[in-house]
Amino acid sequence: MSKVILEVNNLMTKYITRYKENVYAVNDVSFKLEEGRSVGIAGESGCGKSTLALSLMGYYFPPLHYTSGEIIIDGRKITDMKPDDVRKQVLGTEIAYIPQAAMNALNPTRKVIKFIEDVIRVHDPKATKKDIYDLAQQRFELLNLPKEALHKYSVELSGGMKQRTVIAVSTILSPKVLIADEPSSALDVTSQKMVIKMINDLMDLGIIKSMIFITHELPLLYNVTDDIMVMYAAQLVETGTADQMIFDPLHPYSKGLMGSILVPEDGTREAKITAIPGTPPNLKKPPEGCRFAERCKYASPQCKVLNVEVSHLDNNRKCRCLLSEKELREVYKDE
Amino acid sequence: MSEPVKNPDDKIPDDFQAPKNSGDSDNPNDESDISTSSWERFRRNGYTRYYTKRTIWFLVTLVAAAILNFILPRLMPGDPLAAIMQRVAVGLHDAEQVRAIYYHYLQLFGLDRPVIEQFFIYFGNLFRGDLGLSFSRFPRPVSDIISNAVPWTIGLQLPAILTGWIIGNFLGAIAAYRRRIFDKIVMPASLFVSGIPAFGLAVILLAVFALNLGWFPVTGGYEIGLIPHFSWRFISSIIEHYHLPFWSIVLISIGGQALGMRSMSIYELNADYVRYSRFMGIKDSKIVRYVFRNAMLPQVTGLALSLGTMMGGAIVAEIIFSYPGLGTALLQAVREGDYPLVSGITLVITVMVLASVFLLEIIYGLIDPRVKTTQYE
Repeated sequence: MSKVILEVNNLMTKYITRYKENVYAVNDVSFKLEEGRSVGIAGESGCGKSTLALSLMGYYFPPLHYTSGEIIIDGRKITDMKPDDVRKQVLGTEIAYIPQAAMNALNPTRKVIKFIEDVIRVHDPKATKKDIYDLAQQRFELLNLPKEALHKYSVELSGGMKQRTVIAVSTILSPKVLIADEPSSALDVTSQKMVIKMINDLMDLGIIKSMIFITHELPLLYNVTDDIMVMYAAQLVETGTADQMIFDPLHPYSKGLMGSILVPEDGTREAKITAIPGTPPNLKKPPEGCRFAERCKYASPQCKVLNVEVSHLDNNRKCRCLLSEKELREVYKDE
Repeated sequence: MSEPVKNPDDKIPDDFQAPKNSGDSDNPNDESDISTSSWERFRRNGYTRYYTKRTIWFLVTLVAAAILNFILPRLMPGDPLAAIMQRVAVGLHDAEQVRAIYYHYLQLFGLDRPVIEQFFIYFGNLFRGDLGLSFSRFPRPVSDIISNAVPWTIGLQLPAILTGWIIGNFLGAIAAYRRRIFDKIVMPASLFVSGIPAFGLAVILLAVFALNLGWFPVTGGYEIGLIPHFSWRFISSIIEHYHLPFWSIVLISIGGQALGMRSMSIYELNADYVRYSRFMGIKDSKIVRYVFRNAMLPQVTGLALSLGTMMGGAIVAEIIFSYPGLGTALLQAVREGDYPLVSGITLVITVMVLASVFLLEIIYGLIDPRVKTTQYE
């Protein structure tokens, strides 16, 4: 087992709404990420994927607030650090972020190179213009961007170029963990593939050490990441390797999620898509017991009352279900 | 006006070759070649075409304004020659003689001719730069009166409008960033002040600071009796008289600008690039600068749009403080039915507003890369 880069223990963060209500959008999330590995987070919209991404940065500003739990990056507990220290010592160098809206992520009135200068000078105020320029140019080449793009404003770049520019800026300080929040959702399939390939290349080259990839497209994750975590109503419901999660999902929600998509393989032409009935719970008032119980067709009355803990299974798998692995397999066999 | 626009277009081919060649020898790279030629294209087509178009539009506006300037004063009631007659005909008892003098002036000013003919004469003179003679201050030429008043007006209004704009934007940005007390007290207060009509605020300032407290002089641009010359006494007198009209214009413009800036800044603070910059570790003070830069852009448009209104308010301030600028001259001209002077002053004001709007448009193109791109297209 290689070195653990990111360790998250029982992380809880909340949004405070205008009416002073607490909405726990990340609730009791724990996982470990090892060096050289990538993990995907999947779930339907509003389940807290993006909030989890923001929470992992360890830098909170309203309306998002930290509640409890710990984030440890490379042995350093960033949840104990002062916000300003996190900003200077963690953001960009330890953990970096590719936002969901990469199209609008660049300041419209600042040239790309100027922004890169700003970013690098946060961590190294003495960096010379030439060093910054050389590094930026080298990274741009790596991402197949013309070096002229450095001297342009974001409006002068095409959508795909903006996307790659944001990737280049996010990884400019060689972060240990890169969080990509749906970096490809606004792109066509070919550009998606290119973006993913680039991030993978960056990892192969050791520029980034590990990656968290957030998406709502499960099949995409199968091709991109080593592990997959499925999130439902602010909690992780199941964790496992990509193979396990795609071909052998255990949790009823993961199973439902897999059943609701088409996999481009033989036999899918005849397969039926089954949607999961119902809607996700309101996070302002999460239900007692298992949060998926309302919509779960295997739920027993106990599910709605008992608090469900994460159970550790063989092969490093984790599942948040009242039923054991054996029981779940029994249930699925009947169908 | 169209001449200077054409010239750069003709010149381009000469210096067009030079940068392209040097670009080639420096970088044999394909992409740099493309960017060089696209820069050239940008310079040749985009800017020139855009600004030619804008210039034509401004000229059309100017002509329309000049036509209105001719018509509107002539719709005023009253006899334009009354002022002159009062002066000239003093002591004359012979009605025949008075009538003869009256017709003499009527012919001199061309007022006996049909309005259409007057119109063409007026425009003919205008093209020669001749604004005519003033009726009320006969025989002073209008251009002479205007050139005496313009420095006062520009000296008062340009700094005042700019100061109001800058303070307003600054307050708005702080209100957006700090919220809380600042947002709840300073913003409503500045809005309240701006809500007072221009003449009302000027009168209040005059009553409180000049009449009651006696801190500042009541009227004029300098102490009565002083002859304008370059001396400390004269300059300090100018500064003393400057305060009240200046602050009445500044106070009026703060609130509206602050309100616009506040909402723009709040919008920008929630923009995606702000969140991204934060997560890249950029410190807040720098992000505030990013936000200010971007939120300021619509404010420049706002300034261009409200310039006319501001100028109107500023002219009222001049009148109330009897400041020796265009506003006071305009009031006098209107009172005495002095067509040439009214037309001349309104024309100069129109030209000043149009020129500032045009200038702002050029500045806007320079500070916003997105507009630059659109102008190019």
